[in-house]
Amino acid sequence: MLEWGATQGIGPRTSSAARIGIGGPVGSGKTALIERLIPALDARNVDFAVVTNDLVTKEDAERLRRSGLIDPERVSAVEAGACPHTVIREDPTLNMAAGDDLESRFPGLELVIFESGGDNLASTFSLDLVDWWMFVIDVAGGDDIPRKKGPGVLKCDLLVVNKVDLAPHVGVDLSSMLAEAQAARGERPVVATNARSGEGVDTVADMICRAVLFHT
Amino acid sequence: MLMIERVLGSRLEPSLHERIHRLEHHGTVDVVTVSAMDMSRRRLRLLSAKGEDIAIALPRDQKLFDGAVLLIDDERAIVVRAEVERWLSFQPRSIAEGVELGYHAGNLHWRVRFAGERLLVALEGPIETYYARLDALPGVSSIPRLVVTGEMAA
Repeated sequence: MLEWGATQGIGPRTSSAARIGIGGPVGSGKTALIERLIPALDARNVDFAVVTNDLVTKEDAERLRRSGLIDPERVSAVEAGACPHTVIREDPTLNMAAGDDLESRFPGLELVIFESGGDNLASTFSLDLVDWWMFVIDVAGGDDIPRKKGPGVLKCDLLVVNKVDLAPHVGVDLSSMLAEAQAARGERPVVATNARSGEGVDTVADMICRAVLFHT
Repeated sequence: MLMIERVLGSRLEPSLHERIHRLEHHGTVDVVTVSAMDMSRRRLRLLSAKGEDIAIALPRDQKLFDGAVLLIDDERAIVVRAEVERWLSFQPRSIAEGVELGYHAGNLHWRVRFAGERLLVALEGPIETYYARLDALPGVSSIPRLVVTGEMAA
């Protein structure tokens, strides 16, 4: 008798779409990174949708809908109404409902990306909401961010250091900043990106696909 | 890679317990150990004790738990072993201490649990980082505390 919880590629698909979070301080480049990830995930044949979070507007959702990069119907907006941490950590029900709605509207959806509404370094995602999450900081925010060891920097599954092209213009020693970020995180990964040029974005897309979609 | 898309049940359930017990005699029960932090995830990839590459992708209405049976057939089984979660248990000596401790625990976004007059903080990183925070808070640094696990944290 065979009672597989494992499918090994056979049988009906019972699991839900993977859910990942993208958090980080306001202006660190979360939405820009998503704009770069969209074609990168398309190239990897990933069926995905996006949920954005804003305080009292739908600004980021409208930006993505207008981008021409993604079917606007695949972008949902959550208005946090108050502290943006709350809806991704303490009470993520609004976001969970948005993810459920996307999954019901798009059968076969493999991945839902939740962009937080802009946070400080204490921000983290609830694992009730997401399976894996990244935290985006940028060199223009200051090379001391990794040294401050905020929970967002320490606990995320992937730390993204964005806007690396700005380092020489803001007096940041990039290699030193990356080394300090790695030292703060131990063996957990750190990736440097430039969301304007696309540098590092394929690495991020590959890490998402490996971590939650189990691509080899 | 072995894909697991649902938990079949608990190894304590009579029907599974008997079969697993029989497989254990043949040395064919594999264990996948999951850290306290990862127990909340519905998707993760791990190596079992026997070296099998296991990808877990559960429906959103399922969660891992200690003793969760991921696979069982006539030849083998794979069971989850949850790493023990550690908690820092505080015993405030006054309402004022309790209020101040509660305020700081919230402000530090610590994951907490309450047990009678005790407040327990989940240790999600090195304990030294928690002590470092407490040392900077004179109002709570002297509150009696100890590290507890398992039933002591219930």
